[in-house]
Amino acid sequence: MRTTESEMAVRTIGLGKRFGPTWALEDCSIDVPQGRVSALVGPNGAGKTTLLRLLVGLSSPSVGEAFVLDKPPRQSQDFLASVGYLAQQAPLYKQLTAAEHLRLGSHLNSRWDSDTAMNRLTARHIPLDRPVETLSGGQRSQVALGLALAKQPQVLLLDEPVAALDPLARREFLASLADAVADGDLTVVLSSHLLHDLERVCDHIILLAASRTQLCDDIDHILETHKVLVGPRRAAAEIEGRYRVVRAVHSERQSRLLVQLEAPLIDPTWELSDVGLEDVVLAYMGDDGSNTAGPLSLVGGPR
Amino acid sequence: MNQLIWRLHRQQVIFAGAALAVLAVLLLVTGTTMAHDYHSALATCGATRSCGDLPGELFQGDGLIIDLVSCTFVVPLLFGLFWGAPLVAKEFEQGTQDLVWTQGVTRRSWMTSNVAYVLAAAAAWGGAMSLLVTWWRGPEDALHGGRFGVAFDITGVTPIAYAVFAVALGIAAGTMLRRVLPAMATTLAGFVLVRGAVGLWLRPRFVAPIRHSFRLVNDVSGAPAGAWIISKIIIDPAGRLYDPSSPAGVPAACHAALFNNSAASCLAAHGFRRLVVYQPAGRFWTFQAIEFTIFIVLAAALVAFACALVVRRDA
Repeated sequence: MRTTESEMAVRTIGLGKRFGPTWALEDCSIDVPQGRVSALVGPNGAGKTTLLRLLVGLSSPSVGEAFVLDKPPRQSQDFLASVGYLAQQAPLYKQLTAAEHLRLGSHLNSRWDSDTAMNRLTARHIPLDRPVETLSGGQRSQVALGLALAKQPQVLLLDEPVAALDPLARREFLASLADAVADGDLTVVLSSHLLHDLERVCDHIILLAASRTQLCDDIDHILETHKVLVGPRRAAAEIEGRYRVVRAVHSERQSRLLVQLEAPLIDPTWELSDVGLEDVVLAYMGDDGSNTAGPLSLVGGPR
Repeated sequence: MNQLIWRLHRQQVIFAGAALAVLAVLLLVTGTTMAHDYHSALATCGATRSCGDLPGELFQGDGLIIDLVSCTFVVPLLFGLFWGAPLVAKEFEQGTQDLVWTQGVTRRSWMTSNVAYVLAAAAAWGGAMSLLVTWWRGPEDALHGGRFGVAFDITGVTPIAYAVFAVALGIAAGTMLRRVLPAMATTLAGFVLVRGAVGLWLRPRFVAPIRHSFRLVNDVSGAPAGAWIISKIIIDPAGRLYDPSSPAGVPAACHAALFNNSAASCLAAHGFRRLVVYQPAGRFWTFQAIEFTIFIVLAAALVAFACALVVRRDA
């Protein structure tokens, strides 16, 4: 699953953004290969919105570099045409209808596919002729997604597109998105603080926590390389010296380690088992979600 | 781009258009009557050579409409408040800058076309209003022989410049503050401040005024008809300002005269003179051109500032 540099849809190198004295995003280095649907996850305030806004060129970095389709985000028609963006809360002109939004889009973009968008919205019974302020949140999100897709971008960046939606609207939104990415080589990065929503549509994940990149990889590869090891506590130090231990839970005699393994570990001392994506993510975020476990520590080992 | 601008601003344009239409009807009806009154009065008094009191007699019953016309001086400010201030600020309040600035149009060209349309509309409205008012005031201004005074601010080319300036100020404030109400407040304060400073302090100094001194006589203006009188004072023989409150300022011989009506002739006999400082009516267009240029240059600077903010600053 390794890809060469030129196939990266999104790449950042040491990207950082500071607002006054606080860093909203720090030392962010990610690679998203073309064609991936990537989940950008992390707790609130982890810098997800900041990262997406840097990628689409709405703000400029304090340090580091960003590349979308090998080009730094900038104010040029070329660049703007290649990137679609759906901001948080799906902003729309309240007094305009969906059809009017689509017409505006066709005036503001050289490449624009109104018909497909129109059909997609009609199929979901979204009224095209009512001001969008009279639509439900789910319907507005669908309109906003329709606009972003009608632009026919190569990279689509969605900021918390489902956060404000109820479960049904959430499912419908993700179904629309899945339809759209089914054909073609559109690359999508969508952020959420709820991984659960995204697992079905995504095949790649970027995990930001504490303003830094913790993880950026294909989901398959993450599941392949992250294992839980259970074994005697006295042997734990050796593992911690050799591998990146994401999380270690020690009881009196036993240790339970979440480890990143690039090659299979063959050692009868340790009992190996698979781990779910959510557990991996939570471990990187330093919270197991249950608060019932014993003393926890987030360990950053050699990388 | 054009359609977006029209669709988003059509309410404002329709509202302003309706207001202008109402004003136009009102002025056309009253203005025609006034022109008729003026010409028939001129014909009558011209025949009897008794036109002296005409300005005082004519148009006395038109107080309300005259006040209304004078009030058109605030119209440019309204453009600034309701067209200029929300232009960028409203996008930020609704979050739609994230939508419109990520379409296939650069921020620079989005800003350029928006600003161009709004400024053009403001200039057109200001021009139309000024034409109407200039025509309407024609008879009255002819009677007074000049257009300095209220007419300076609401006729000629200055209303265009004020409208353009107010809108540019609104745009700049809205771009900087990103909130409609604070931007409107800033526009209001800025407009009043700049208009006041230019009108009261700078304008009298556009061209060195004419200083005319003459023998002290009561009830003589000393300045030609229609002139803008900037100051009218009494000076002593040495050219200093006459100060009746200090004993030294008044010649001893005239102390008694201060308490009856012969003060003026007594002071005149002692070499006191009247000094009138004024701008003659003939300088009207020079002053209009200077005032116009000042406000257009200010507007250009504000627009350049707003454009730079939109392009450079993080959204």
